[in-house]
Amino acid sequence: MSHHDDDLHGLLAEYETPSALVAACKKVRDAGYAKWDTFTPFPIHGIEKAMGIRMTGLPWIVLAAALVGLASAVGLQWWTNAVDYKFISSGKPMWSIPANVPVYFELTVLFSAFAALFGMLILNNLPQPSHPLDHLQAFGRVTDDRFFLYIEKGDAKFDLAETQRLLDGTHPVTVDAVNEDRRTSDQLPKPLVLTAAVIAVLALVPFAFIAKARATKTDKPKIHAMGDMDWQIKFQAQQPNPLFQDGMAMRAPEPGTVALDEHPDDEHLTAGKVDGQFVRTFPAGFKVDEATMARGKERYQIFCAPCHGVSGNGDGPVAQRAMTLAEGTWVPPTALGQDYLRQMAVGQLYDVVTNGVRNMPAYGSQIAVDDRWAVVLYLRALQKAKAAPVGDLTDAERAALK
Amino acid sequence: MAKTKETAKEGGFGDNIRMDGLASKLMGIAGGIGVIGLGASFGLGYTSDKSQFMHSYLTAYAWILSIGLGALWWVVLQHLVNAKWSTVVRRVGELLASTMPMLALLSLPIVIPALMGDSTLYIWADSQKMHADHLLHKKAAFLNRDFFVVRLVIYFVFWGVLSRYLLSKSVEQDKTGAPEIRSKLQGLCAPSMILLALTLTFAAIDFVMTLEPKWYSTIFGVYYFAGAVVSFHSFFALALMWLQKNGRLAKSVTSEHYHDIGKMMFAFTAFWAYIAFSQFMLIWYANIPEETEWYHVRAHGAWGTVSYLMVAVNFLIPFFGLLSRHVKRNRMALGFWAVWILVVHWLDMFWLVKPHMHTEHLPFSILDVTCTVGMLGLFIAAAAFASQKVNLVPIKDPRLEKSLAFENF
Repeated sequence: MSHHDDDLHGLLAEYETPSALVAACKKVRDAGYAKWDTFTPFPIHGIEKAMGIRMTGLPWIVLAAALVGLASAVGLQWWTNAVDYKFISSGKPMWSIPANVPVYFELTVLFSAFAALFGMLILNNLPQPSHPLDHLQAFGRVTDDRFFLYIEKGDAKFDLAETQRLLDGTHPVTVDAVNEDRRTSDQLPKPLVLTAAVIAVLALVPFAFIAKARATKTDKPKIHAMGDMDWQIKFQAQQPNPLFQDGMAMRAPEPGTVALDEHPDDEHLTAGKVDGQFVRTFPAGFKVDEATMARGKERYQIFCAPCHGVSGNGDGPVAQRAMTLAEGTWVPPTALGQDYLRQMAVGQLYDVVTNGVRNMPAYGSQIAVDDRWAVVLYLRALQKAKAAPVGDLTDAERAALK
Repeated sequence: MAKTKETAKEGGFGDNIRMDGLASKLMGIAGGIGVIGLGASFGLGYTSDKSQFMHSYLTAYAWILSIGLGALWWVVLQHLVNAKWSTVVRRVGELLASTMPMLALLSLPIVIPALMGDSTLYIWADSQKMHADHLLHKKAAFLNRDFFVVRLVIYFVFWGVLSRYLLSKSVEQDKTGAPEIRSKLQGLCAPSMILLALTLTFAAIDFVMTLEPKWYSTIFGVYYFAGAVVSFHSFFALALMWLQKNGRLAKSVTSEHYHDIGKMMFAFTAFWAYIAFSQFMLIWYANIPEETEWYHVRAHGAWGTVSYLMVAVNFLIPFFGLLSRHVKRNRMALGFWAVWILVVHWLDMFWLVKPHMHTEHLPFSILDVTCTVGMLGLFIAAAAFASQKVNLVPIKDPRLEKSLAFENF
């Protein structure tokens, strides 16, 4: 076989069995070559060792990507839930770890999976759109029943005669000289470039629609992407239900049912009334202490603050949102520091929390009896803070006010 | 393949694969420790607090049972998926799984008091208490002494027969070399895996979850299973190391096999955390009183500290500890994490059982040590008993060559 040295790309040895290839690998490895590779129809156990391939940095890349994924997830969840768009869900705190763990998990796995795939491709110099071996007829059997070892001319130790002798000594079927690929252009194939360009343009289309939707207004009804969620087949409160004899969807409790925290005999505690009059004292056994106050504050901030605001000024996020939208029917929530509310009997405040008033819905079904009283206690503290008598202030605070 | 020819010689095996005198020695020592440990437990329990004894005993029993069930699950899995890497170590797994009669025997101090109506552990054992609590009336059809015994008999008969059969067929192949035993056992292991999943789930419910009969978690069986698998592989790695140290399997079991066992320890550490969190998160989110009650106890005071500790010692620390391949291939390092996992899995069982006894403080006791050591001794003695007359490697299994020559990529 003759060729110009300029044209030579490398030497390809062909073997009939995996074990012959593995034995050849050991010889090439021990001869100190670096730019060489093997090609087989299936993975061969132990060939990495025979080729002298060391561990790559891929595990570290994957670990780093996993930690970046975890950090991104924590940042994403914290920013969206606790900072940028505060939204109370199921009465949980704005920022609670358990609710976010699934996202931590998913992003950690996603980042590490991508890092493993793309890191592997990059470390292996893949993808390679073309290779001089592609044009070799005999190399076609690499996907079938032959095992190949290829040494590139670019290797520092490469010497045609010497390398040929080395490969001949490994009992190959043949050793072929492989020429440089002069036929394949350096440019990417036109259809590939065109396809990529079309995909890139098409990928922008959804963003264009989103941009248009954000910039324009429409009278058309919203698009229901998931009808099953928007129109669920279920009975809702106040709807008729033919399954029951009385035709109502809502079911009354069994006669005589008493919930665990209900004390039907203690009207003061459960209704805030004695003999039809709202009570002016907290129920017997109700502890006015720091723990109760803290509990009341927590319940208040979960259930009341969305409308009435954290300080009770009637400026919670729901109210602010409604004002921004300027819907004509919106009645702003009551500011809780007003005089008539400061003088209102605690029993009546308790009753409002329990049963609602005017536009305010009833919270009796969501807040337990003791917690409702704790909310009233905290409300009293808020009111006091808004109109604190001078005598309650410390000297330093009085000085600061002057 | 060349390696196989060196080790598996014609008519013999180029490695020491018989326990011989070591079996009786191990039986003597482990059995002795077991008898002393449990004897001391009964003595201390009889003279002091019965509740302390019962809860310590159940903690230790849930731990040792999980290792035995993990072994049985592992053997069934190897047959089911036709695993090749594990053939050389499979017999040791079969021997560990053949401890089922001993595990059945060890359950008696839990079962007999329950049968006699003692409600120290299980309130449902006392039909009057069941009758007095309206919330339990509907559950009485399942939670009663007679049905409890029926279920336990079903579990132990199934586990015992299955483990015995898998071992005896494998040993039979040592003699006859019949290759069809492989496919026969694979076929058997498909339905067996389903039955094993069901019996393990219900056993976890019966022994542990019914301590709090008003509480329920549909994932509880999987939680117990996750702990069983991770602790079995830890025990398995230690057992193989001990055998190799005593000159058995010294040439046949390599870093490659430990690497695979280590992978399972690592994977199931993550799996345990996944399941533990899945159980917690749904209950936390839904916030329904009859479900949160169980976590409420475990989220406050001393138990709260244990719960947070469990996140670290059962997941974060071993996860990063076992992450590297070098750790899994290093016997010292793998052995360290195996011991670690067995200890923290014990803590997991403690966390499941003991809040039933004291909701405020952690009822550690010398009985925890004596019960655990005693059961561990008897468990090892039972495995040693089964190992007396068998090879430690299924020498005629058609997959053995591949297992001996196995290398991880």
